[in-house]
Amino acid sequence: MSLEQYRDVWVYLTREDGKLTRPSLELIAAGRKVADKIGQRVVAVMLGYQLGDAPNEAIARGADAVIYADEPWLKNYLCLPYTRVLVDMCRQYKPYAFLFIADELGRDLSPRVAYRLKTGLATDNIDLEVEDYYFGKDNTTYKNVLAQIRPDFATRVAKIYTPRHRPQIASIRPGNFEPLPRDESRRGELIRFQPSPVEDDFKAEIIEEKALPKSAVDLENAKVIISLGLGILKDGEGRPRNPREGLELAEELAQLLRERYGLKVEIGATRALIYAELKELEGFITKERQVGQTGKTVAPDIYIALGISGAVQHRVGMIRSKNIVAVNTDPNAPIFDIAHYVINDDLYKVVPQLISYLRGQ
Amino acid sequence: MLIIAMLKGVPAKTTGVITVSGVLRREEMELVMNPHDTRALEAAYYLKRRVGGKVIGLSMGPEPKLVPIMNDLYEPNQESRLVPRMPIYGVDENVLLSDRRMAGADTLATAYALAKGIHRIIQLHQEALDELIELVRNNASPAEVESKARELYNENMLPNKVYSTLPTVRDSSVRLFVEGRISREQLLEKLEEARGDLMNFIVLAGMKTSDGETGNTGPQTAEGLSEFLGITIPHAAFVVDFEVSPEENSVIAERKLGNLLQKLRIPIPCLLTLHTEYTPRVPPASVQKRVRLNNYRGQLRKIRVWDAAYIGADPEKLGFAGSPTIVGPGMEIGRPPVQKIVGKTLVFKQDMDKFEWNGKRYGPFKKYDPVGDLPEELVRELEGKGLLEVFTLKHMIEELFGGLQVVARAV
Repeated sequence: MSLEQYRDVWVYLTREDGKLTRPSLELIAAGRKVADKIGQRVVAVMLGYQLGDAPNEAIARGADAVIYADEPWLKNYLCLPYTRVLVDMCRQYKPYAFLFIADELGRDLSPRVAYRLKTGLATDNIDLEVEDYYFGKDNTTYKNVLAQIRPDFATRVAKIYTPRHRPQIASIRPGNFEPLPRDESRRGELIRFQPSPVEDDFKAEIIEEKALPKSAVDLENAKVIISLGLGILKDGEGRPRNPREGLELAEELAQLLRERYGLKVEIGATRALIYAELKELEGFITKERQVGQTGKTVAPDIYIALGISGAVQHRVGMIRSKNIVAVNTDPNAPIFDIAHYVINDDLYKVVPQLISYLRGQ
Repeated sequence: MLIIAMLKGVPAKTTGVITVSGVLRREEMELVMNPHDTRALEAAYYLKRRVGGKVIGLSMGPEPKLVPIMNDLYEPNQESRLVPRMPIYGVDENVLLSDRRMAGADTLATAYALAKGIHRIIQLHQEALDELIELVRNNASPAEVESKARELYNENMLPNKVYSTLPTVRDSSVRLFVEGRISREQLLEKLEEARGDLMNFIVLAGMKTSDGETGNTGPQTAEGLSEFLGITIPHAAFVVDFEVSPEENSVIAERKLGNLLQKLRIPIPCLLTLHTEYTPRVPPASVQKRVRLNNYRGQLRKIRVWDAAYIGADPEKLGFAGSPTIVGPGMEIGRPPVQKIVGKTLVFKQDMDKFEWNGKRYGPFKKYDPVGDLPEELVRELEGKGLLEVFTLKHMIEELFGGLQVVARAV
């Protein structure tokens, strides 16, 4: 197998209500970053029925070409037929890399595709680079290998390489790439792939699909996120505080920013605070506000961390925020390592000050 | 039914906070059961009460670390340091894949080994029935047949309906044959049927592990099994609810796909990974009683430890050698290029053009830029000229919000 035969960065796109999802647009941007480094194309891959204008939209949003299958039997997602079509596409066109969104569908589909192609799968990446990789066992330097960057066990991130196999398959966590602006002048090749259904792939069948109610909390699109951690349970002198007070202060600050600047502000929380299940915060600090590895990945303009120590699981969910303000009484809190603004003080003093300064300004 | 629960030993420190990892040096850390696997065991318990059979725990890893976990799985309702407490009857038996060559596996190599292990589990049970079938075919005496059946039954290899020593099970096939109530041919038919039943298995797994966090191994094991069995084994990941269909030939599963709840009919054999939100159903008592005929003798408190050769695995496809992915060195998550400590960092009061000092050029600087690593002497000089100040909360507000348009002043 000659690795050079494998070309182009493929991105598997999904749609909702006929439109490309935001994580799909982010995925095109991720593919763009890699493709530009190696001088190859971003190829959008889409499966479904009645795709309409979506393939053209993928081009306008940064893809160079689209390979798609538009068949009635691909209308709803089912793992086995989708796996077969994607594997057949890969065998025919031989992509260098194949990126998926690290959501439930991506996690259901990409493992089977990777296994069938007997190649590597790096899950949950937050960034991608291209590097030469020296593999001691072969005493070989592999050129232009995808460095798939994912949060790691300790306090770090690790790079995963698939030097000897193609395609290099990776899933990307939503919220880590900025979608590219629409450019109507972009042109690209649209390739229609015409697969035939295989009966065996329809062993499992869909009985029903229903939409789940959408969450009212929209962390991903907030410009400012004020996030709370277990630190709201104590003040600067270590005296216990009713966490409700901390929440109310955060709400007051949020409301002020909303009204004064018309900003979209949301309240976030750490996993630790949510799982503490404090009755004072019941019904408000819920799983849908969780920022971090097992919650949402966010990148607002301003992220204000109140009483958050900053475990790596939290940091990987907010590190891409443009401005990070951290308020913590512990001078050694890891959150300070990544903060643009370090406030080593009691949040019960700092937040009222912020509010009063903002009011006075 | 063979109900196989895939379980993983994970470093204890990953279970409090869910994290992600590369290759771990597991030998150096205490291993406990992956907390997400409790859902798989609860689902296994539901299946056992719904259709009968036995629950087999399957894991891969270093024997000294995994054996204590597997031992505690026999009594999951007891306090354990290694296994979360669960209100269920424990596993019936455990299979551990343990071989140095399996170490350092990524998800592909792990799924390969687990699928080989499951294939071997099925074969083992087929071989047991084949032994009995051969005896019956070769006109062995009823006493010989019964003696063989008892031996296999004691090893947990035959379901009650084939042979049982339980007083409540009077009509096992072998018993009926020994008592002359069915013919040799009829017994053979029953045994062949029981052999065929072995292919109606279900594999269960947690939706992910607390150390690797990928969730890949479940679907990839289904793919590996399809390869080794020569039939497509479908799977569904992120199952929040499921039940066995009335005909007992499929499961009806609901699973989450983003904003969609997908309800699927999946034929058995299949593999399911259970979402953290999964809660098991409770089959009616009448059903639980009826399906006991499909159960096996009971808990076999012996862990079957299998190496690569026993499961027929190609060493080249196992462990580090069989893993396409390589975990590179870890990196620290980067510090921001500019960091300001409120109440401490010295910053410029105003924009400053480039300037020369002691023959070196500095700047330009913007208002509120920190002095950073400027020479101490220069900093003192700038301070003396009143060009620097300590960065305050007010400055921060000005920096963050000063450029924004105020839309409403009265708050």
